[in-house]
Amino acid sequence: MTGRSQYRVVIVGAGIVGLYTAWHLAEAGVTDVLVVDRGFLSGGASGRNGGGVRQQWETPATVRLARESVGAYRRFGVDFGYNVWFRQGGYLFLAETPAELDRLRAVVRIVNAEGLPARVLTPSEVLRHAPALDVTGIAGGTFLGSDGTLYPFPAVWGLFEALRARGVEVTTGTPVTGFRIEAGRVRGVVTASGTVAAEAVVNAAGGWSRDVSRLAGLETPNVASRHEILATEPLKPFLDPMVVRTSDGLYFSQTMRGEIVGGLSLPHPTGTGSGMPSSIRFLGTMARALTGLLPALASVGVLRAWSGFYDETPDGLPILGEDPRLGGFYHANGLGGHGFMLAPATSRRVAEAVLGQRTDLDPALFGPGRFLEPGRARQAERLTLG
Amino acid sequence: MAATGSSPPRWRGRPLAGPEGASLVARLARAGLPELQRSLRYHRPRAPFCGIGQCTNCLVGVNGRPNVRGCRYVPLAGDRITSANSWPSPSWDLLGVLDLLFPRGLDTLHGFTWPRFAAPLYHRVIRRLAGYDRLPEGGAATGPAGPPAPAVADPVETDVLVIGAGDAGTAAAAACAGRGLETLLVDRGPPAEAPGPARLARTTVVFLPPPEGEPSRFSALVHEEAGPARLVRARRVVVATGGYDGPLLFGNGDRPGVVTAEGALALGLADADPWFRRAVVFGGGPRVLPLLDRFGTHVEAVVAPGAVSPAVVERASALDVPIYPRTLLLEALGRRRVRGLRLAPRGGGPTFDLEADALLLAHRRLPQPQLFYQAGARMRWHATLGAYVPDLEAGGATSVPGLYAAGTAAGLLEPAASAASGEAVADAISGSGVARPAPPALPESTGELEGYYVELLRRPRGRAKRLLCPCEDVLLTEVEEAVANGYRGVEVVKRRTGVGTGLCQGRYCLPDLLLVLAHLEGRPPAEVGYITQRPPVLPTPLGALARLPTATGSEEEGA
Ligand SMILES: Cc1cc2nc3c(=O)[nH]c(=O)nc-3n(C[C@H](O)[C@H](O)[C@H](O)COP(=O)(O)OP(=O)(O)OC[C@H]3O[C@@H](n4cnc5c(N)ncnc54)[C@H](O)[C@@H]3O)c2cc1C
Ligand code: FES
Repeated sequence: MTGRSQYRVVIVGAGIVGLYTAWHLAEAGVTDVLVVDRGFLSGGASGRNGGGVRQQWETPATVRLARESVGAYRRFGVDFGYNVWFRQGGYLFLAETPAELDRLRAVVRIVNAEGLPARVLTPSEVLRHAPALDVTGIAGGTFLGSDGTLYPFPAVWGLFEALRARGVEVTTGTPVTGFRIEAGRVRGVVTASGTVAAEAVVNAAGGWSRDVSRLAGLETPNVASRHEILATEPLKPFLDPMVVRTSDGLYFSQTMRGEIVGGLSLPHPTGTGSGMPSSIRFLGTMARALTGLLPALASVGVLRAWSGFYDETPDGLPILGEDPRLGGFYHANGLGGHGFMLAPATSRRVAEAVLGQRTDLDPALFGPGRFLEPGRARQAERLTLG
Repeated sequence: MAATGSSPPRWRGRPLAGPEGASLVARLARAGLPELQRSLRYHRPRAPFCGIGQCTNCLVGVNGRPNVRGCRYVPLAGDRITSANSWPSPSWDLLGVLDLLFPRGLDTLHGFTWPRFAAPLYHRVIRRLAGYDRLPEGGAATGPAGPPAPAVADPVETDVLVIGAGDAGTAAAAACAGRGLETLLVDRGPPAEAPGPARLARTTVVFLPPPEGEPSRFSALVHEEAGPARLVRARRVVVATGGYDGPLLFGNGDRPGVVTAEGALALGLADADPWFRRAVVFGGGPRVLPLLDRFGTHVEAVVAPGAVSPAVVERASALDVPIYPRTLLLEALGRRRVRGLRLAPRGGGPTFDLEADALLLAHRRLPQPQLFYQAGARMRWHATLGAYVPDLEAGGATSVPGLYAAGTAAGLLEPAASAASGEAVADAISGSGVARPAPPALPESTGELEGYYVELLRRPRGRAKRLLCPCEDVLLTEVEEAVANGYRGVEVVKRRTGVGTGLCQGRYCLPDLLLVLAHLEGRPPAEVGYITQRPPVLPTPLGALARLPTATGSEEEGA
């Protein structure tokens, strides 16, 4: 149930992206906002991710967004009164072939050009950052110490309570089932418990964003791709950085609770239809990859496995801003496997767009219209694993 | 493989006494109440509780392998057994001071954010508190020795897979095999002594995704102790995983000396154990009887949350054991271990204390429902049990085609009903015989436990910590705070407080959480929500999973 029948802005999805967007609107003085979610708080990818936060990217614009977000998460505890335990233990990328290492070198150059001290590592330097690894077959790696990991849940609670304190409504258990559209503009949102009028709508539905756009008659190229993840029994701290192997997308870190949490890329049928199951295939593949790189984990138990959706785009970059085909309909989606780490910065720009302000986003990189001009060569982000 | 030799196994550097061939916990219990480790956040002393390899209280390191459950592990010559998460020892632990320093809990949700420059320091300190044991040294850490992996073709193919060799599973397997169905029985326990259908012993089904393909078939992920994980393919699966003795919420409920009924029986606690002179049994139903039989004159009293069954009254009177029906258990007394219990009559009245060395929980038998959830079976709330059970048709069929339930796992508590339900399943599977009606379940007297918890939570409480989730040291007050702040439903409260995310996979806290939330949210437990049961059913070593065949042929997904 929603409290009122009309809002200035309705945000679909109460994940980290929807909540941060509402927060930036509130910061700008706009609290006549409804955030509506069909599930429970943290039931989407925002409650299912690996908590990785990195600034090593191929596209300079993404490096800048990530750097801004790192600042936000460093301040989160003071700003919101919740500790996200953002531990800057670094991100360690591993390459197995000279070609992969060359690609990582190029990334380091881009990151350095943005003023961040990422470094290329030899295998023995890799060992210094993560002594438990078996570096046989590792050609080298890269490292940036100000990258890190956080505990995602408190970020959701902190934003939720801060919004409530500002009078912003966050309603869960209420699916959006359609939109009211008049004269090429979105005018309202149809939910399972009634229709509310809105001047602007933000699609922050993560893996379900393509489904939600369709409710407004819009086709987008987003693909919901299921990614599985597991956590082991907790151990005393032994691993500081997040480790990512580019060849198979294996990533893992040791959380504040001592568990090794991680996953790898495994093709699954796409789309949100089949739900979020775990698979035996993943458990086997992940166990082989993990014990190959960190043999001492062989006798450590897997405690639980789960999965969630990456909301992927063809060019690996998020979709941010107003849809040129439908006035008042804004996208804050397509964040792939990296929405948690980018949300503070991307959501600020979406909020600016909703408020009619100029943003520093290059529409050719992030604009929803970019996919409507086929054949145009664009920059893409390919370092999307891990 | 573990080192062998003639030297005795060593516990914390000293030769281990006690009967050879018994579990570590049973051996240590001969000398006194074994304290094996400290809890995660507050370093509270912990001693064996469940006795069946499910809780977190007896984790030890064996030859460098972390988190081995001492109640199921039988020490071998040459084994080096270490304790975790305590210094200098589990009995005298310096960090035990945390429990006193934070009488109202350590607030890792809001605290440690200020000043900002101290964050790295906070991270270092709090990280050290997490986790029990260390990463095994080197890649060649060995676990406790087990039988070598049998030479069974992988994946194992069978017509009927029966999971659990209790009364129900044994009956189901025998009846299926008797009808000419190819049958495989899998159980966590040792091999059967009597001949019977094909059997995998010391093996746990850790993941049962929904069936796939046409005709549909199950692929179960099984793990044999100290062996590899493997696949068992079956057209029909009978889940007869039985039940376990459930938890109870009270002040200092995690104190050493609090043991489940089956724990007390399985650990072989005996008259000779010096710390076990005066036991109080909590419960009023059939679970109490074997305890009275076994511990007889050492039972100080029977305390029941509700009415006491006539059979218990009769047996207790014969032994001269006093009975306290309709009584709230408020708090365990004793700073380091149980020395007594604080009780109060239900419905109001002054509190009173009983002296006791041990508390045996026999009030609540819960089904093991994980595999039903994983396979996607429809569940329903069973008010007497205070738990979810599969929604069954006659013959024990669940809502998932090919998946059947029998025995306690299906919500049946009477042993006789269990065996009968196993046979009924075999009838349904083989299509022979008349489909018998499902055996009668216990009458569902709504709200027995719900009422108890409502009264408990309404009473003013003392200062003793009430740990809702002992694995993660989550306090009842943290759950109350979450609800007061507008967080609703099991899934959200679980994510917010960490309840249910520990090594027992929520077995010893989620059942209580449901009842607590029902009260706090003012709605029936059935509306509070389902609990997603994630695979695996028990922690499964990565090394075992790594030995799964590379191409399993299909998605094998579920849960
Ligand atoms: C396994 C895994 C690991 C990951 N690891 C990382 C990582 O290490 N670092 C990182 O930064 N990111 C990671 N991510 C990605 C990150 O979690 C997501 O990008 C981010 O959480 C997206 O946030 P969101 O708010 O857009 O989506 P979500 O959190 O998914 O929220 C979307 C919400 O929309 C709601 N919704 C959907 N349809 C409707 C409807 N019709 N009506 C109403 N509500 C609706 C859903 O219920 C959901 O709550 C990972 C993701 C997964 C799955
Ligand atoms: S008591 Fe084990 S997870 Fe809560």
